[in-house]
Amino acid sequence: MSDPSGEMRELAKKLLENGEVDRIIGWEKGNLWYQSPPLFITRAEETDRLVFDDFAINSLVTYLLDERDSGKKTGIFVKGCDSRGLVRILQDKQIARESVYVIGLPCSGKKDPRQALSSGASESSQVPPAAKCEECLYPNPVIYDVIIGEAVEAKAKGDRFAAVKEIEAKTADEKYAYWTSQYSKCLRCLACRNVCPACNCRECAFDISKPRILAKENNLSHNMVYHLTRAFHAAGRCVECGECERVCPMGIPIMQLNKKIIKEINDLFGPYEAGVKLDETPPPLGTYQTSDPEEFM
Amino acid sequence: MQGIAKQDLNKVLETLSGGGAALLVPMEIDGVTRFARWEQGAKTALGAGNTLLPPKEALFPQNEKVFNYEMSNEEAKIVPSAAAAEETIILGIRPCDVRAIQALDNVFLTKDYVDELYKTRRRHTLLIALGCTQPAPTCFCSSVGGDPLQAEGADIMLWDLGETYGLEALSDKGKDLLKKIDKFMSKSRGKKPAAGKFSLEVDSRGIAEKLHNMFEDPIWDRWYQKCLGCGICTFICPTCHCFDMQEKHTGQWDGYRYRCWDSCMFQEYSLMAGGHNPRPTKKERLRNRFLHKLCFFQERYGMLLCTGCGRCVRECPVGMDITKFIKEVSEVSLNE
Ligand code: SF4
Ligand code: SF4
Ligand code: SF4
Ligand code: SF4
Repeated sequence: MSDPSGEMRELAKKLLENGEVDRIIGWEKGNLWYQSPPLFITRAEETDRLVFDDFAINSLVTYLLDERDSGKKTGIFVKGCDSRGLVRILQDKQIARESVYVIGLPCSGKKDPRQALSSGASESSQVPPAAKCEECLYPNPVIYDVIIGEAVEAKAKGDRFAAVKEIEAKTADEKYAYWTSQYSKCLRCLACRNVCPACNCRECAFDISKPRILAKENNLSHNMVYHLTRAFHAAGRCVECGECERVCPMGIPIMQLNKKIIKEINDLFGPYEAGVKLDETPPPLGTYQTSDPEEFM
Repeated sequence: MQGIAKQDLNKVLETLSGGGAALLVPMEIDGVTRFARWEQGAKTALGAGNTLLPPKEALFPQNEKVFNYEMSNEEAKIVPSAAAAEETIILGIRPCDVRAIQALDNVFLTKDYVDELYKTRRRHTLLIALGCTQPAPTCFCSSVGGDPLQAEGADIMLWDLGETYGLEALSDKGKDLLKKIDKFMSKSRGKKPAAGKFSLEVDSRGIAEKLHNMFEDPIWDRWYQKCLGCGICTFICPTCHCFDMQEKHTGQWDGYRYRCWDSCMFQEYSLMAGGHNPRPTKKERLRNRFLHKLCFFQERYGMLLCTGCGRCVRECPVGMDITKFIKEVSEVSLNE
């Protein structure tokens, strides 16, 4: 893939100069070679900091929620997975389509900074592709105003539900042992919620202190309430960007449960891919039909 | 220098944990490196660099009961909790984390406030530090006044000398403990190793004084936006010690009050009862975290609240790099 940063900078500069957007969100090079963290710019002279390299893994779309009431227009760069998150936020009517100028970037896979460190690599070529990219079905942005670079081919390896089937094959006791050992580790740092484009409530139930809906005491039972509630709330709305699992410092396999739900929804209502088409009907669990097989509906 | 052969390590650990002491050593559990209770047959992760989770939970657990309450016949009975007074040895703690415990000591034991729960635990805890010959790529203790090879405040110092661990007692408690493992000790020919090179370095001298005048500086506008407002950086930080107080009602008339870790990066942390939030956006929250670490704590206790362990640099999902921040502060010119 050729380096699109030249074109990115030029476009960002133009957009800021002619006042088409108030700010740009992209990525910049960090202090360490394996970091390309999010970058926010409002001045044309700063656009030279923009990069799009192997480590531009962060999705930037949840930042749009921070400014949802400001009336500002944002120019935002999106990869394939990020663009599905953007569709989620738009479909959920959190921001207006006119408040974003979307610059699409076809993506041939990114790398995870934590993996760069743990693998002991000293340069990018030694770092394996990020877990979330290995299963990517939509490397090309599904929504954009302009696109930079050539479309790439999806090269998802193997069965995206392989990890789900592994769990399904376990007995109930084994499943319980597996999930409880995972959820016991949870710090309840809430990073997985905060990064999620489907978690776009203005006030999350877990933040309400009066009355406190989920106790702050960290224990397995509360952690499970957190995880199961989160997973069910994102059911049918999770766009499989994999950001929750990527940000988790404790290595909890959050996507494994998300994918189980996706698989169930596919079997019951599907096939259904969340966040792919902006103008489609709402997600299966967000709508109802009189012909629904459930009689109580 | 005295030393113990690495092949005797298990026997040494067995001896140390004999007599009922809780021996906490770095281990990898379900993919997470942390300090956990060593038992015969457990595999240590002593050579795996610093742990993902710091040892602070041994002294300041994520949840801790403060008192039980019970109401009957219009009377309320309150029974304060007593911290478990179990003898605890933390072995393999790195110098940055020993300094972090000194910071916690300052908070919980000085300035006219003594936290009894912390004090009890601390009094029964002995620290056996392991010097670092090869700093990790995210380590920067030497930039914030630390020494990777020497842990002032530890009871015993260990160094990896290849075939042996060299050791030295730094306190009387440490000397007494060494007597227990006397039979494994031999004269080691090695001497205290030299420190490896740091890849992350920054000049932090004068940072507190400078930041004192930067509360309204535009630097915060450049720094806060990418923050997700999660609790990763504070929960995994060896020095962060904020907590919340909550109650749990176990019956209609009884229950307990507990404290649990809280994070200044959470939106709800500074929310007041009347609904006002003095730190309404991520900007004020990030500013608070950095100022607490790099300015307020120094002013109150004479040390930074960052010991350069590098955990937040490693784990922050948006690459919030405190060393880069320190550097940027040093480049700000205040007399325009
Ligand atoms: S990011 Fe991981 S540790 Fe944090 S709340 Fe989510 S699952 Fe728990
Ligand atoms: S600085 Fe990083 S780790 Fe800390 S709250 Fe912000 S995003 Fe989370
Ligand atoms: S602020 Fe970061 S580097 Fe400093 S002690 Fe805390 S976790 Fe370690
Ligand atoms: S910061 Fe220093 S003391 Fe801490 S682990 Fe790294 S080298 Fe060792």
